[in-house]
Amino acid sequence: MKASSALGKIIAFFRRDFAIARGYRSALVLEVLEALFGVATFYYLSRFVDSPSLSAGLPGGASYFAFALVGFAFFDYLGVSLTAFEASIEEARQNRTLEALLVSQTPLPVILAGSAAYPFFTLALRTCVYLGWGALLFGFVPHAANWLGAAAILFCSMLAFAGLGILSASYNVLFKRGNPAKWLVLGISGLVGGMMYPVSVLPHGLRILARLIPVTYSLEGMRAALLAGAGWGKLWPSIAALLMFAALLIPCSFAVFAWALRRTRVTGTLTHI
Amino acid sequence: MTSPAIAVDSLEKYFPPAFSGWRALLLPFARPTQRALAGVSFQVARGEAVALVGANGAGKSTLLRILATLISPTRGSAMLAGFDVDQQGAQARARLGYHTGGDEGFYSRLTSRQNLLFFAAMNNLTRSAALDRIEQIAVWMGFAAELDRPVRMLSTGMAHRLGLARALLHSPEILLLDEPTRSLDPLAAADFRRLLKEEIVRRRGATLLFASHTLSEVEELADRMVLLAGGKILADNSPARLRAAAGGATLEAAIAALTRVGAAPAVRP
Repeated sequence: MKASSALGKIIAFFRRDFAIARGYRSALVLEVLEALFGVATFYYLSRFVDSPSLSAGLPGGASYFAFALVGFAFFDYLGVSLTAFEASIEEARQNRTLEALLVSQTPLPVILAGSAAYPFFTLALRTCVYLGWGALLFGFVPHAANWLGAAAILFCSMLAFAGLGILSASYNVLFKRGNPAKWLVLGISGLVGGMMYPVSVLPHGLRILARLIPVTYSLEGMRAALLAGAGWGKLWPSIAALLMFAALLIPCSFAVFAWALRRTRVTGTLTHI
Repeated sequence: MTSPAIAVDSLEKYFPPAFSGWRALLLPFARPTQRALAGVSFQVARGEAVALVGANGAGKSTLLRILATLISPTRGSAMLAGFDVDQQGAQARARLGYHTGGDEGFYSRLTSRQNLLFFAAMNNLTRSAALDRIEQIAVWMGFAAELDRPVRMLSTGMAHRLGLARALLHSPEILLLDEPTRSLDPLAAADFRRLLKEEIVRRRGATLLFASHTLSEVEELADRMVLLAGGKILADNSPARLRAAAGGATLEAAIAALTRVGAAPAVRP
């Protein structure tokens, strides 16, 4: 399939999801307000725990509020990556559009990518809303941010996370419900990835575990770029690690996904609810 | 001599047994032992309308789903417009339209036009070509006035037409329909059959393979019918000839007679 044709189809998915979302405008308003409550909670927590000695241990001497805000906002990318691909299959099963999609001239990988386009777009908006509330009301001003570096970290993170997401979708294709892999990845990443506290506070064993998951490098790189304004030289280790995860996970996830798909064509269960 | 639109040769399909509870986790790895099709062979010529008839579980839907590339055959081959549905699925899909007789499978909050535009894009139509095609199909299928209504507000009959319209968007050579009038009232069903026969098969020359339990529908639409039981073909002929051969006054009586003679219990491979 030509890249332009695949892109056109991904745009069609985006249009579809945007048109559906326009029917739920109140949900969008509520989400913006929910983000405000989340940011406010971090702010008041940080006022309770912040101290000069704590800031000294954080990237660029940032406040705990800035540290937690960036961690919380960007950890979401892992969560959405793990759920968006499988949710697209699950939703198509539930509203019974999956058969119509599968007999169309669009291969399943494009269906997956297309269905994930809108969730990632709204995630990017949500990140802006989080950071926007932080900047507007709670003094989060990333003066020295390396925005280009942050964008590079984000791009590499999404590549690495997409591999995990496609593996998660493979599980859903085969077993339909309950996804221990997703639970395990999110649980371990939340515990040792450094979302709410630096990895350095963890015991030795968990620090080693943290080095084996991509979200650690993603959050370290993102905080270095946004809070400490780190240059490319300092960002490179995070970028390289994320690219290595992507190089390993993406081919592996595609192979597993193709195998899962073949099996469901044998068992006839792909469209079963 | 032109090649047949559909050629099915010694087609077999076995499914794994149904598991429940924790054993359901083993299903993707289980050996397929439940027979659904047992060496089915037949052909459908271009422009022909053929009905698949048989009791529930006879293998009609399984056969259609294999031809629609949704599931893989266990053994044998199925060719659609000269393409192997298992090995050349993308080429086969470009030539087929598939529709099951329910009003499901749409995005209910989107309008008919938005739904059709989306599925047209999935079938490689450009936006402008799709807009023209949707207008054209909606006019001759009689739902032009419904194009800008949300799908959730359509009647079952209209949603049904929308499903058929979706299958026809990319002008497929071959149409596979699974119980096409299942959820329609008698008048809407008659209307739908007229549309299929006059517009799609006669005027547009499409090949039609459909499964049906409604024997009047079979007699009205089909040039030929393939009678399945226990995954095997019991008979393959025109409805009139089958009736005559089986000595039945009605098609129903003829099918009952043929099924009593030919039914065989399912066995493991």
